[in-house]
Amino acid sequence: MSKNVDLEQEGVEVRKSACYFCHQNCGVLAYVKDGKVLAIEGDPDFPTNQGGLCCRGNIALQHLDHPERVNYPLKRVGKRGEGKWEQIPWDQAIQEIAARLNGIKDEFGAEAVATAGGTQRTDDWARRRFMNLFGSPNGFHNSHLCWIPTFMVETAIYGWCPFELDMGNSRCLILWGQNPGAAGMPEMHHITEFQSKGMKVIVIDPRFSETAAKADLWLPLRPGSDLALALAWINVIIFEGLYDQEFVANCCEGFGELADHVEQFTPEWASPLTWLTPEQIRAGAYMYAMNKPGNIQWGTSVDQIGKPAGSAMHARAILRAITGNLDAPGSDLLTGPSPDFITDEEMEANDRLPESQKPKQIGADRFKLVTWPGYSRIAEETKKVWGKAPTAEWMCEAHPPSVFRAILTERPYKVKALLVSATNPINSYGETKLVLDALRAVDFMVTCDYWMTPTAALSDYVLPIAGALERPTITSSYGCSDFLLASQRAIQPMYERRNDYNFWRDLGMATGQKEEWPWETVEDAYYHRIAPLGYDAGTYDEFVELYRFHFPEREYFKYQRQGFATPSGKVELYSSVLKDLGYPPLPPYIGPSENEVDDPELAKDFPLVLTTGGGFMPYHHSEHFQIKEVRFLRHEPYMDINPTTAAELSIEDGDWVWIETKRGRIKQKANLTQGIHPRVVYTQRGWWYPERDMRDPELGGCLESNTNVLTSTADEHCDPYSGAWANRGLLCRVYKVDASNLKGGK
Amino acid sequence: MARYAMVLDTRRCIGCHSCTVACKVHNGLPVDMIYNPVTTVGPTGVYPNLHQVHIPLLCMHCANAPCVDACPTCASQKRDDGVVFVEDKMCVGCLSCVMACPYGARTLNDETGAVQKCDFCKERLDAGKKPHCVNTCHQKARIFGDLDDETSEVYKLVNSENAARLLGELNTEPYTFYIYGLEVKNP
Amino acid sequence: MSTKHEGWGWMLAVDFFFAGMGGAMLLIAGIIELFVGEGRTSLVGNLLGPVFMCVGCAFLVFELGRPFQSWRVFMNPKAILTAGAWTMSIAIVVGLAYASFGLDPAWFGVEKLFWQDKYLVRKLLAVICVLTGLVVAAYPGVLLARHKGRPFWVGPGMITLFLLSSLVTGVSAHFLSGFAFPPAVVPGVLANFPLLAGALLFFQLVVWFGYLWVKRTGATAAEADSAQRWIAGDLSGSFKFVFLFLGTLVPMVLFLQASPALQGVGALFVLLGGVVMRCLVVRAGHDRTWLPGEQKYRGRLPLGDEAFLKAWNK
Repeated sequence: MSKNVDLEQEGVEVRKSACYFCHQNCGVLAYVKDGKVLAIEGDPDFPTNQGGLCCRGNIALQHLDHPERVNYPLKRVGKRGEGKWEQIPWDQAIQEIAARLNGIKDEFGAEAVATAGGTQRTDDWARRRFMNLFGSPNGFHNSHLCWIPTFMVETAIYGWCPFELDMGNSRCLILWGQNPGAAGMPEMHHITEFQSKGMKVIVIDPRFSETAAKADLWLPLRPGSDLALALAWINVIIFEGLYDQEFVANCCEGFGELADHVEQFTPEWASPLTWLTPEQIRAGAYMYAMNKPGNIQWGTSVDQIGKPAGSAMHARAILRAITGNLDAPGSDLLTGPSPDFITDEEMEANDRLPESQKPKQIGADRFKLVTWPGYSRIAEETKKVWGKAPTAEWMCEAHPPSVFRAILTERPYKVKALLVSATNPINSYGETKLVLDALRAVDFMVTCDYWMTPTAALSDYVLPIAGALERPTITSSYGCSDFLLASQRAIQPMYERRNDYNFWRDLGMATGQKEEWPWETVEDAYYHRIAPLGYDAGTYDEFVELYRFHFPEREYFKYQRQGFATPSGKVELYSSVLKDLGYPPLPPYIGPSENEVDDPELAKDFPLVLTTGGGFMPYHHSEHFQIKEVRFLRHEPYMDINPTTAAELSIEDGDWVWIETKRGRIKQKANLTQGIHPRVVYTQRGWWYPERDMRDPELGGCLESNTNVLTSTADEHCDPYSGAWANRGLLCRVYKVDASNLKGGK
Repeated sequence: MARYAMVLDTRRCIGCHSCTVACKVHNGLPVDMIYNPVTTVGPTGVYPNLHQVHIPLLCMHCANAPCVDACPTCASQKRDDGVVFVEDKMCVGCLSCVMACPYGARTLNDETGAVQKCDFCKERLDAGKKPHCVNTCHQKARIFGDLDDETSEVYKLVNSENAARLLGELNTEPYTFYIYGLEVKNP
Repeated sequence: MSTKHEGWGWMLAVDFFFAGMGGAMLLIAGIIELFVGEGRTSLVGNLLGPVFMCVGCAFLVFELGRPFQSWRVFMNPKAILTAGAWTMSIAIVVGLAYASFGLDPAWFGVEKLFWQDKYLVRKLLAVICVLTGLVVAAYPGVLLARHKGRPFWVGPGMITLFLLSSLVTGVSAHFLSGFAFPPAVVPGVLANFPLLAGALLFFQLVVWFGYLWVKRTGATAAEADSAQRWIAGDLSGSFKFVFLFLGTLVPMVLFLQASPALQGVGALFVLLGGVVMRCLVVRAGHDRTWLPGEQKYRGRLPLGDEAFLKAWNK
């Protein structure tokens, strides 16, 4: 695209499309002529991005027809991973895959078919629908690392997760391990606006992130020590009299037990655990509790700390409740599911999964919160008050590391097939070596993707998926918001790409679900979902063109009318739901997954603390490394290390260094920065090198700089509530890469 | 006649590089040509007392543009509205302007043999639109407008805030202004 | 990323060398013609002046991104490069015309060449040679000195350095020309030039030390950094060994020898020093006055040979 494209020429149509490179789904105007997109720009009338687009949004056209894109269904003809493919018709691929899956189902049971998903970039209700109708409970996502455990803990405690922030009226915002300055531009824009009008911003992050640099208070805690900080804040807020007495008295259960429980967790107690001073801890508690109304933005870092995650989420949820920052103007709003449009959950056909299959869900025996035991318990409560349940795809899933282990060990039973959609588990799931072994070992694997990823390279079939500009989008926060934003596709999918919806539908029809998929296109399905809203639109496209959004009137203090969706109808600080599931009803202190206090011997060998996984521009998880228009900005991986530590290790800025944990080692380049504690290092996530040989065993250098080689999914490092594994707060060591290890200057 | 200017509000810039990419893809630039880099100064200080500022750059569209004077072919020109640009067909690629520019705003295109630079997306300006980098900026850290218009945001920012020019001591009189936070006068 | 086109390259440095030397040769020939007497310089030397300028122009043209449109550089009266282009063109024509007075009519099988007895024309051409030669010899320095954003170049010192270097190379080239084709009046250049060159070298050495000292202790950090590159940085090896030692000290010693052969070798070393100095100066100019954070930003961009840049080129 060049500046010389004439957008005023005859026949140019403007389509109200959306960016599809992260969850924000910023509005995009696409200028289309004769089925080709001539140009794109941010939609100035879209409420979130207001015309803005980030690096990723701007490369939509480079993404759309990149020479590396997978454009036709591919069937493996050589050995697995050998890189030999045959191009076959889509229908042949579907028929062959369906036959194989039905065969596995007949021989090993439906549960022997698992699916892996990535971040929220697909129509996941369609996948869930397929799996439910097929009879397997073993769908999973990276959801365990991505807000879902938080959602479930908070829903257990006050009946929904307050991810709708009423920031316009807020006086204080906590960004808990969240960095919208690098990951969520529309959000950061609003934060900047409100901050300039007086809203205080607290950033809790071991790194001096883009957002921390703009904060009123930056709390650089030891990675993984969030729980100690949250408990100390509860202590300060209760014992220094900062809590909302009226809200606690009228709306909360278990305050007395909570006060007794947290009495021991003083800032002085938390200080050596969090590496913050008691003054810093108090300053944060005061700033949040004294600037009401306030918000705690939802973020995913606490989901990624492993062992203490569930308890930390519980403690964080309590902070909102005891300060009365729930469903009041300016605070965190409990929107509930939409009563008006058909939610994702209602499209999932969860009632079609036989009861006998639910207990077979892998991981449900140990990690109850986001599997069928916890999900059914919590859904039961939400249905009473909201009339609807949370989305099951995300909130009720198999435990991914356990599925990978099941492939290798055949325990608890054989898993024979893996359908991978919109993810590259080799880079994005924990403990890469385990994942890689499992993917090499699994009998049958199908990958739906835009690119030939390391995962796709190991597959039996690779199916080309339609991307941004080629698909309509409904944005409704994992199907859990009461509002929606709708966008249309700019063009029909190019080549033989299809929407992931069509993949699941086609596969469903071919495996015997013919009657269950009445909606031929995504638009048909979307129209079915929005029709109950009653807008004057005959098709989905018409709805987008005429209305595009549905924002119901905002109602505060809904709990006064209907109570909270908990067994007692109140905020259960002392949680009966968690207790029923066998978890502590109040948040106990648990140290970070690996730490120097509980395991000083390990800390001798691995003296530094590792944090991984923060998003950074211009990539999204493990995506976009192919696109040189963004890759040139950060073409090599960099890890952050304090100059003092680097000097001790004779590491200079730009040196290649090894970062090693008990699981393995990777190399990245050293970025010397004061923006990190001398005992902490941060590695960039997602790295692989699509420009290299994509055949096994090189697989695009997928082990070389991939931070998930370092992370841990061992049961003892996982959150006992949800099974979320440990990406942060692990022990590591760092040393310079020996010249003899350098390959071609890398 | 308008007098175009840009204000870079470093208090708002988060260093996301969206402007760099937007400029590159919309203007069809080669990968190794960057009209508008965003640099980072810092974190300065000692952990945990730190400060960091991002500096979005571009051609400064100087009133007293050394590149225009240096160009032996008159390919480098300044319009009445202040936009400094290169008339491609007149450029011989002598690099005089590249060397004369103190801001590194000009690059030779290997393939065409001519020098290219930011021209405030002048075709867009003529069509009543704003430059791509301004449009794409979520943070509204790039503010563009007419400095002759006393009601414009740029006029207000340039005249009421602590606006500074980069390398002001060179007397090139940039029409690109920077606003820093209270902590930093000039990084 | 690639910096090869973010500044002038070696071809421009070579242009500066040849043009400066050629200009100085015209200047010297003109001065000797006017103030010392006719026939003291070699015909080859008089011819080589404009020829060197032509060679310089050729390098300049090939440095351009669009060499075949080089005629456009005559267009901007405000631009130093335009002024330089005009002066050099005039100098080349005038220099050739002046040199033609030294041609032997016998080579052409004629009694006399009709213009050679036109005294006034000859003197007028010599005057123009002096003026244009001086401008051409000094002008690269003037050009560089005006670059406000190039800390090593900025300031009048660069003019002196270039003028001196042009002169010393011009003197050496005239001296060498004398070997190839002795001047009409012997010994002419052969007798006096080594001493003149030696003196100029000494003076040049002093000015260089002064220049670096001023830059090192200069007004801005950028200037100090730029000087440091010559004193102990990446340019210091070539500067010290090739320019200072081989191009200055060695010829100074050789010029003091009685043997014309050794003096000739000294003159060749001066030329080597001159071309290396031009290259180093041009390279030093790639350092701009960096904007805040710019060096780190540019330092982490790809260099241009990375696999990801080439992997998907159709």
